[in-house]
Amino acid sequence: MHGKIMNASFDALVIGGGIAGGEAALNLANNGFKVLIVEKDLSIGGKMILLSKVFPTLDCSACITTPKVSEISRHPGITIFTGSEVKSISRKSETSFEAVVIKTPRYVIGEDCTGCQLCEQACPVLVHDQFQYNLVGRKAAYIPFSIASPRVAAIDIENCTLCGACEKVCPTKCIDFTQEEEEYCIDVKTVIIATGFNLFDPLKIPRYGYGTYKNIITSMQMERQLAPTRPFNTILRPGDGKVPDRIAYVLCTGSRDMTVGNPICSQICCMYSIKQAQLLMGALPMADVTIYYINIRSFGKGFEEFYDQAKGMGVNFVKGKIGKITENENGNLNLRYEDINENVVRESEHDLVVLSVGVLPNTDSKALFHDGDLKLDPFSFVDQADPLASPSKTSIDGVFVAGTATGPMDIPDSILSAGASSAEAISYLNRRL
Amino acid sequence: MEIEKGKTYKYLREKREVSQAAKDNLKQFIKIKKSILDALQESDLTIEQLTQKLNMPANEVVYYLMSLVKYGFVQTGAVDDMDAYFSYKLKK
Ligand SMILES: Cc1cc2nc3c(=O)[nH]c(=O)nc-3n(C[C@H](O)[C@H](O)[C@H](O)COP(=O)(O)OP(=O)(O)OC[C@H]3O[C@@H](n4cnc5c(N)ncnc54)[C@H](O)[C@@H]3O)c2cc1C
Ligand code: SF4
Ligand code: SF4
Repeated sequence: MHGKIMNASFDALVIGGGIAGGEAALNLANNGFKVLIVEKDLSIGGKMILLSKVFPTLDCSACITTPKVSEISRHPGITIFTGSEVKSISRKSETSFEAVVIKTPRYVIGEDCTGCQLCEQACPVLVHDQFQYNLVGRKAAYIPFSIASPRVAAIDIENCTLCGACEKVCPTKCIDFTQEEEEYCIDVKTVIIATGFNLFDPLKIPRYGYGTYKNIITSMQMERQLAPTRPFNTILRPGDGKVPDRIAYVLCTGSRDMTVGNPICSQICCMYSIKQAQLLMGALPMADVTIYYINIRSFGKGFEEFYDQAKGMGVNFVKGKIGKITENENGNLNLRYEDINENVVRESEHDLVVLSVGVLPNTDSKALFHDGDLKLDPFSFVDQADPLASPSKTSIDGVFVAGTATGPMDIPDSILSAGASSAEAISYLNRRL
Repeated sequence: MEIEKGKTYKYLREKREVSQAAKDNLKQFIKIKKSILDALQESDLTIEQLTQKLNMPANEVVYYLMSLVKYGFVQTGAVDDMDAYFSYKLKK
């Protein structure tokens, strides 16, 4: 069910408003092109906006992302649809595509919302906060997170009981339950796919006990615990609220593992785990942090030094493959592992386990293209038609790819990839205009 | 029906049924919120003490208690001698 169909035209459609999509859009707009970003979440910024600090410089992630995101939001050449998805893209002519975009109702008039959060305070409903990776709750009327862009409330209609409390307190009367889904028919000349990556779901490895043992968390949950906008006052075990002092990391969870169908290295997990270990040593000076690894892949600029720095700070590195995790009565966890150097099986006890979950492809864009077949690579990331000479070219002329949509990579590489993608799109547009 | 600004929820109520799951979730939260706030009325408590008093799994106490901290009903108190467990108190 939706209201009227609206038409619009842009030079470029960027699908996904993470750091790669945002950067590509900025480059295009700074060169005078009209860009539409379609972001399925309620805020742009992707995963980067939710990170604590970034390796290997330990700069605050929010401090880098916030100005970038605000530049993207304020740019007169960029239009952003959040809470929206592209339904289909078909070629209209040799130089244009038609994209059908669905915008779901936010039930808040964005321009009038001041972000005062009075609706959030008044709402009686509590559900899991997806932006805190379920560590804490949020209301059905909510601002996604404090540095969200736009910083505008939204109503989670599936959990809303339509009590009207939010509307009664809203000072600008901008909550609007009459909003309906909108469909847009959009004419664009080029498309950039920047749909990013999915995180591996550790429930797929039952022998690790994630979900059953409450003191096992994912690296993204630890990232949130370390961020300034953290869910708790300090680092706590979600199982019983204890401040942990023997923390273990299990690298390669869902990466380089044929048993879960993902044979490739995720490229970022070693480094983000080493980063988190250093941040934990700072936050909890008395804690022991042990990283269980198969190989440490510290291949980038400054990465080996960053690894050495962690060792120097006292982070314990054990070359070991985890077989099974079990729980003690006190909520502590026993890790049974193969000590690869000694070739023996050992056990060790920790009070919090962090699973360094891997990078999986987001295959959303495959189904969007009606005419030209968007090719995926053998691991289901968007295929690079000419990886050496033209790395952002896809199998469809006029469609480019940026960031982790094309494979696992860190933030600097995602930004480089977005630069390449926008440069190729600009050159494509200039040739055809 | 006529749509009055500030009361548009009434419009959607006519068109959309609130799911049983949403109603049950609200009921459960109201109950748990009351039980945690009542327990803290008597004294500051740790998560372990709350778990015993409310007969609720500790991870659920953490989730609801931290949500009540987030929305300003409860505040974190002192940590124990081992620096392991905090106590929690009502926000006055
Ligand atoms: C725990 C963890 C810690 C990390 N720490 C670091 C670090 O310290 N340093 C570092 O360099 N890197 C780090 N990274 C890697 C970093 O997160 C990625 O390199 C970066 O987020 C990639 O950006 P992206 O834009 O390609 O993808 P994403 O961040 O995944 O953004 C993709 C965007 O597209 C949107 N989207 C997806 N599908 C659709 C669709 N169908 N329609 C519309 N929109 C869609 C998503 O909602 C999202 O906003 C870390 C990653 C993790 C998981
Ligand atoms: S109408 Fe919905 S969102 Fe608004 S306060 Fe009631 S339950 Fe919350
Ligand atoms: S919807 Fe209204 S009450 Fe909620 S944050 Fe916006 S202005 Fe404030």
